[in-house]
Amino acid sequence: MAFKRDKKEEEDGGGNIFQNLEKTSVLQEARTFNDTPVNPRKCTHILTKILYLLNQGEQLGSTEATEVFFAVTKLFQSKDVVLRRMVYLGIKELSSLAEDVIIVTSSLTKDMTGREDLYRAAAIRALCSITDVTMLQSIERYMKQAIVDRNSAVSSAALVSSLHLTKVAGEVVKRWVNEAQEAANSDSIMVQYHALGVLYHIRKSDRLAVTKLVAKFKSGRMSLKSPFAICLVIRIVSKLLEEAGGEWAESPLFDFVESCLRHKSETVIYEAAHAIVNMKNTTQRELAPAVSVLQLFCTSPKPTLRFAAVRTLNKVAMSHPAALMACNCDLESLITDSNRSIATLAITTLLKTGAESSVDRLMKQISSFVCEISDEFKIVVVQAIRALCLKFPRKHSVLMNFLSTMLRDEGGLEYKASIADTVITIIEENPDAKETGLAHLCEFIEDCEHTSLAVRILHLLGKEGPKTKQPSRYIRFIYNRVILEKAVVRGAAVAAMAQFGAACPDLLPNILVLLARCQMDSDDEVRDRATYYHTILQCRDTLIANHYIIDTLQVSLPILEKALYQYLQNPSPIPFDLKSIPPPSAVADDHVAASNKIAAEGSISSTAPKLSKPQREENYYATKLNNIPEIANLNGPLFCSSEPVQLTESETEYVVRCIKHCFPHHLVLQFECLNTLNDQLLENVWVQLEPSEGYEVVHSIPCPRLQYGESASTYIILRFPDQLSATIGNFGATLKFVVKDCDQTTGLPDTEEGYDDEYMLEDVEVSLSDQIQKVSKANFGAAWEEAAGYCEMEDMYSLASMSSLEEAVANVTAFLGMQPAERSDKVPQGKSAHTLFLSGFFRGGQQVLVRAKLALADAVTMQLTVRSTDQRVAELITSTVG
Amino acid sequence: MGLFDKLSNFLGLKKKEVKVLVVGLNNSGKSTIINHLKSDDEKSTEIVPTIGLSVEKFKNQKVYFTALDMSGQGRYRDLWEHYYKECEGIIFVIDSSDRLRLAVAKEELDMLIQHPDVAGRFVPLLFFANKMDLRDALSSVKVAAALGLEKLQDKPWHICSSNAVTGEGLQEGVHWFTQQVCESMR
Repeated sequence: MAFKRDKKEEEDGGGNIFQNLEKTSVLQEARTFNDTPVNPRKCTHILTKILYLLNQGEQLGSTEATEVFFAVTKLFQSKDVVLRRMVYLGIKELSSLAEDVIIVTSSLTKDMTGREDLYRAAAIRALCSITDVTMLQSIERYMKQAIVDRNSAVSSAALVSSLHLTKVAGEVVKRWVNEAQEAANSDSIMVQYHALGVLYHIRKSDRLAVTKLVAKFKSGRMSLKSPFAICLVIRIVSKLLEEAGGEWAESPLFDFVESCLRHKSETVIYEAAHAIVNMKNTTQRELAPAVSVLQLFCTSPKPTLRFAAVRTLNKVAMSHPAALMACNCDLESLITDSNRSIATLAITTLLKTGAESSVDRLMKQISSFVCEISDEFKIVVVQAIRALCLKFPRKHSVLMNFLSTMLRDEGGLEYKASIADTVITIIEENPDAKETGLAHLCEFIEDCEHTSLAVRILHLLGKEGPKTKQPSRYIRFIYNRVILEKAVVRGAAVAAMAQFGAACPDLLPNILVLLARCQMDSDDEVRDRATYYHTILQCRDTLIANHYIIDTLQVSLPILEKALYQYLQNPSPIPFDLKSIPPPSAVADDHVAASNKIAAEGSISSTAPKLSKPQREENYYATKLNNIPEIANLNGPLFCSSEPVQLTESETEYVVRCIKHCFPHHLVLQFECLNTLNDQLLENVWVQLEPSEGYEVVHSIPCPRLQYGESASTYIILRFPDQLSATIGNFGATLKFVVKDCDQTTGLPDTEEGYDDEYMLEDVEVSLSDQIQKVSKANFGAAWEEAAGYCEMEDMYSLASMSSLEEAVANVTAFLGMQPAERSDKVPQGKSAHTLFLSGFFRGGQQVLVRAKLALADAVTMQLTVRSTDQRVAELITSTVG
Repeated sequence: MGLFDKLSNFLGLKKKEVKVLVVGLNNSGKSTIINHLKSDDEKSTEIVPTIGLSVEKFKNQKVYFTALDMSGQGRYRDLWEHYYKECEGIIFVIDSSDRLRLAVAKEELDMLIQHPDVAGRFVPLLFFANKMDLRDALSSVKVAAALGLEKLQDKPWHICSSNAVTGEGLQEGVHWFTQQVCESMR
């Protein structure tokens, strides 16, 4: 019957005879398993159907699965080899669904130790899938035997299964280390590779043991025949070297990797070259052999090798351009490779490393086939172009044209986003390219299907457009959006227009007309925005416009949301104070850093997820601190948190990091302690602090228990001194605790009684930057004028220790912990004078603006002007600088 | 059934295959008994506690037996019932020196007999009062009395004392069992 139906389906032309399987009917058929005697052919077919269903994602209920599972167990009575192997597969698939799966344990152990070699490996795999921690003890002996079995398939199966078991029962598997060691000496390359994997997995948390393991293989006491095993060792070694930081250059580990470059297997050679090229802080001498190997691969007749080599070279092109110069000639010949992927990678690599003169030629070459390659490679091309623009600003017109053609082509969001990102970066980095770049973007949004991109570009137009020579030409593009697009884009367009209105007084009447028209929009949000901007602009007061359109609300949005929610939960007669909300941590800085990093790595195209990170961190601390009643009761929310500062060397018995949380009137020091001694249990851990004068310790919250390998925090709450100048100081700190010796394996203390001990920490330094939150100002000039009414302090300094303007700018910015505005942190080359604008908020919400005029003679001289809403803050800043 | 099958069946040439269930408390000697019944080249040298079940095959008087050797440990006993339905005979093994747990064995036996998959069927039951060599072992008659076998009337049953290590008494029991099974198949 089944046969007939299959035949009919075949006639229908469907290639897959399993296509129309019904779960219920298959389960019905599975009852055949209970028949005596077993019909192997039929049962095999039914089992195949069941496996097919499971692999297609069909869900089996627990009862259904258990029923099928027990039916399958009855098939053990058949001696048919094919059927038995299907049974193993069935058991593996059903093991997670059915109940009482341990029923087959004895049957499987019998097969695994039996004489039939065909059964053994598969039985081991099935056995390990049905075994849990409690049952593992009973099969441990068999597993150990199987690992060292003479049959390589059995040994491999046992090793791979142990690797899977480490997830559920790492401790038990650790006991098999001797067997795994023996298997690593096996003649079979597969067994060797798997054994090494298990050994590494068992020891990976112990760095010393890993080093020993590697040394053993390296010294030849254990000969590795398997190229895969050697590749694995290379990976382990490069991980070790990376962890070791910079001081590995002369290390024997590195020599090992280098020696692998002369191995006879191509896989190993490539792996070694790849590892060396990707290491940090390599010198030319160390790189050269690896690069020459890759160069050799470039001319290999095998496309896979060519692809691997050129891909690796492409990835490191930015970090080691000089080392790659040697390969240029070989890469040139790959440009015309018949494999498009290889050709694309070769061209982009050349774009990254090549000279300015070759750009035109390469661009012509790549544009000939850019439409033929996939999106993924197109992104690689875009990233190469981005790097190129930063390197050769003069070539922007060629590249810009190329990008705009690419923008016009078909492509996914990620692809388009990466192009838009690149254009935006070019605009920001290169003032000459601004007008053309904006023009291209305007054209792009005319026909852009990706809402998020359109909104971003409109925002950018609003920011950059008013500063161009002819702002009016952008208005048409923006207003077109209002007429043609959906609500989200319309809203963004309205906001962008308002920016023009606020920044360009001569366009204001026209903008007002357009905004008035937008007030008729069908969408609430768009209407609201239009009305809001229209009203503000109608006042024709630049101060108000500046305040409410160009530099809008300077608060951290997640915290504002939370504070408002709390305010609504507990209504109070006092009106909500916006000042109590800390300003957002300046993201612009991170943004630039992130986008630079992206350009270097060439991997991520959308910066949006990066931006949310600092805010999330801030939020994370705020929630964590709020869980501690003493801290939650402090008046005022968390203003800002510093980066963690190490108070100990990183490799000591106890590792302590300090995070400074600044509240309006209090300072909370969070000490994150990590206990690295496995024979000690620490209790009642606290920090004895010797605060500088004026500080008052309000509360100290000890950490009750600190186990080995765990990290926990103890807190100290201090009140800031009233005298602001006294807020800066150094606190001596000592870690105090009760030690209990404990058993190394269980972590339980040997005795009830412990003894007091202490540990010296480095001083905690409270500086000015801890109390200041960065705020970015888009229009510093206007804000500075506005702040003319605040109190102002001015002083001259001579910064003798600094030799360049860049250094001075970086130092002043870091010292004050404020946000540079209007890209004033970038010093144009060859200038001897520079003005730096900084903005920020002092704790308690006092606005601070700083203008630093720097001049370079022999040393740097600085004229520092501080404007702040609070006299004392301004005094503090001028007095601490220097 | 094909013509050839019918013919060979009539002539009694067909290979007879019987599925039997081996149950009993843990450490009563089930796996040891089955191991002893297997042909010499298939015997295993050591017997470990069974987990779940083990499928074994042996032959007696031209009848091929497939024995489902079940685990007797307390937590696995409720898995027995999954195999009641298809079995054509049940071997119940009792440790005759373990007086204390004889009551437990009786309870398990009662549950087995009352199970719907066993109750209405003609299933021969063979009891082995195992470990007869031990000094304080009960005789087969006493074991039968303790289990209340006299009340068991709708099924053929037989009890014999045995020593699974030497094989004493096993042949007698299996001989009876084979005959019963052949009768029920006819």
